[in-house]
Amino acid sequence: MHIPDVLIEGRIAAVTTAIGAAGLAYGLRAVERKHGPRTTSLMGMMAAFVFAAQMVNFPVGPGVSGHLLGGVLSAVVLGPWAGAVVIAAVLIVQCLLFQDGGLTALGANFINMGLVGAVGGYAVYAPIRRAIGGRRGVLIGSMVAAWFSVLLAAGAFTIELAILGGKGEFLRILSWMALVHAVIGVGEALITGLVVRFLLLTRPDLIDDAPGDDEIDGLNGRRSPGWLSTTAAGLAIALGVAVFVSPFAWDAPDGLEFVGGKLGFLPEDEAPPILAAPMPEYQFPVTTPAVGVDHVKLATALAGLTGTLAVFGFAWLLARVFSPEGPTPGKVEFDAA
Amino acid sequence: MPPDGPLQKLDARVKLVAAAVYVVAVVAAPLGSWRILGLLACVLAVLVAMSGASPIRLFTRWLGFLALVGFLSAVTAGGLAARAQMSWGAVVLNLLAKNSLAFLMMLVLVEVAPWPKLMLAMRRLGMPPVLAATIGFMDRYVNVLRDELDRMRSARLARSFRRRGGLGLGTLSTLIGVLLLRALEREERVHAAMTARGWDGTIRTLED
Repeated sequence: MHIPDVLIEGRIAAVTTAIGAAGLAYGLRAVERKHGPRTTSLMGMMAAFVFAAQMVNFPVGPGVSGHLLGGVLSAVVLGPWAGAVVIAAVLIVQCLLFQDGGLTALGANFINMGLVGAVGGYAVYAPIRRAIGGRRGVLIGSMVAAWFSVLLAAGAFTIELAILGGKGEFLRILSWMALVHAVIGVGEALITGLVVRFLLLTRPDLIDDAPGDDEIDGLNGRRSPGWLSTTAAGLAIALGVAVFVSPFAWDAPDGLEFVGGKLGFLPEDEAPPILAAPMPEYQFPVTTPAVGVDHVKLATALAGLTGTLAVFGFAWLLARVFSPEGPTPGKVEFDAA
Repeated sequence: MPPDGPLQKLDARVKLVAAAVYVVAVVAAPLGSWRILGLLACVLAVLVAMSGASPIRLFTRWLGFLALVGFLSAVTAGGLAARAQMSWGAVVLNLLAKNSLAFLMMLVLVEVAPWPKLMLAMRRLGMPPVLAATIGFMDRYVNVLRDELDRMRSARLARSFRRRGGLGLGTLSTLIGVLLLRALEREERVHAAMTARGWDGTIRTLED
């Protein structure tokens, strides 16, 4: 989601613009060091691809459709900072040419989708990939990363939007954002996974730091993940989880008296989830009565749990194609139009 | 759009900087300062009149983004209203008005400054050359890839049954996968061709 002008406050806009510019400068230098004179064509083509791919609408329901965001996909194919630079190019064009996303919010949008989405997503992807190994690792890692990148971006978005608005306000918006993006994230994970799987079956060498021949079945080339990337991934995943859990956790100071009087959190935990479906339909948050807030929190945590499990399940399902029992790799047909 | 209007003849750098200053001014205007906003709106009205852009076109574009902006304003207005001690409705209206001014100014900028000129202006104003070149490259190939997508889509429609129901996730994802593959392979060819012609990473244009 692109933040328009004015919606984030002036102070936040100034800070995010500075952080975004610094991040982009660093990312550009990292990409140039890696790709040299090829930077322009590689980044430019990938940005053009992301731009075009975002026009393919996936029907989600009647009248609702979603599309690929592409941050994790470009990071998986080209590397973390390249992913960020690609997103930056797309955002600049969308802002200036199509007025999609505000000029003063450009830095914030880049932080959400480029730095948090692509680089943060890659931080989740890399250790999972190494831990599982091979092509299966690439696929599962990218899907889980896609799911978390959407959530982390939503968390960053909420911070920029509402951090100055007070704690209650912030948590209310955070709950709703997490709830909605739990659903969007599953879609992003599915599309990213299917595209990565297609690429792995056709040209696995195009993936950044491609799995070598010895690694291709995920058995021999297993490397133990480095401590730095493990820490980064742990941090990113913890942040993603915090998006869901924080509405509970940060309520603790308010609830302390309550806890002192009664026994722990049991009464709150025992409240039955009124929402039957794990992904309830989106309501207009402002009109939500104060009574419903606890249910929103519960539903948010539930959606987080369901979403994470669902993404892992889908990832294993899609990865079957690389297992010895599954269909032999390389036999996929792609319709050459 | 008249190509020789007073705004069109202006250097793109001036227009870009002026638009940016205007947007920053709108964002910086304190909440509830209707007079400042009115003044800025007058400036915008004069510029729209000078630009010769069709007001109906501007209006329809503005309408298209109104839903999103309205939703976000409604969501954020609660905290702002409490701090500024204004009513919730006034804050929403204020945010909407400010956003509309900024949005329309950016729209007018694109109306009077063609994209290549704007790109050149950004480069001259200190955008990193690699980024500028990347955006230029992207601009060059976006339509190529979009045509590719259209061809694949019509090929699929011509050859396959039209499925009703279901998400079509697999089909659409394969479409995107093929597009990615073709984009990357095209990049390999283009890069080889560029290298053969002496590309060393610095962009040279006739304007330099």
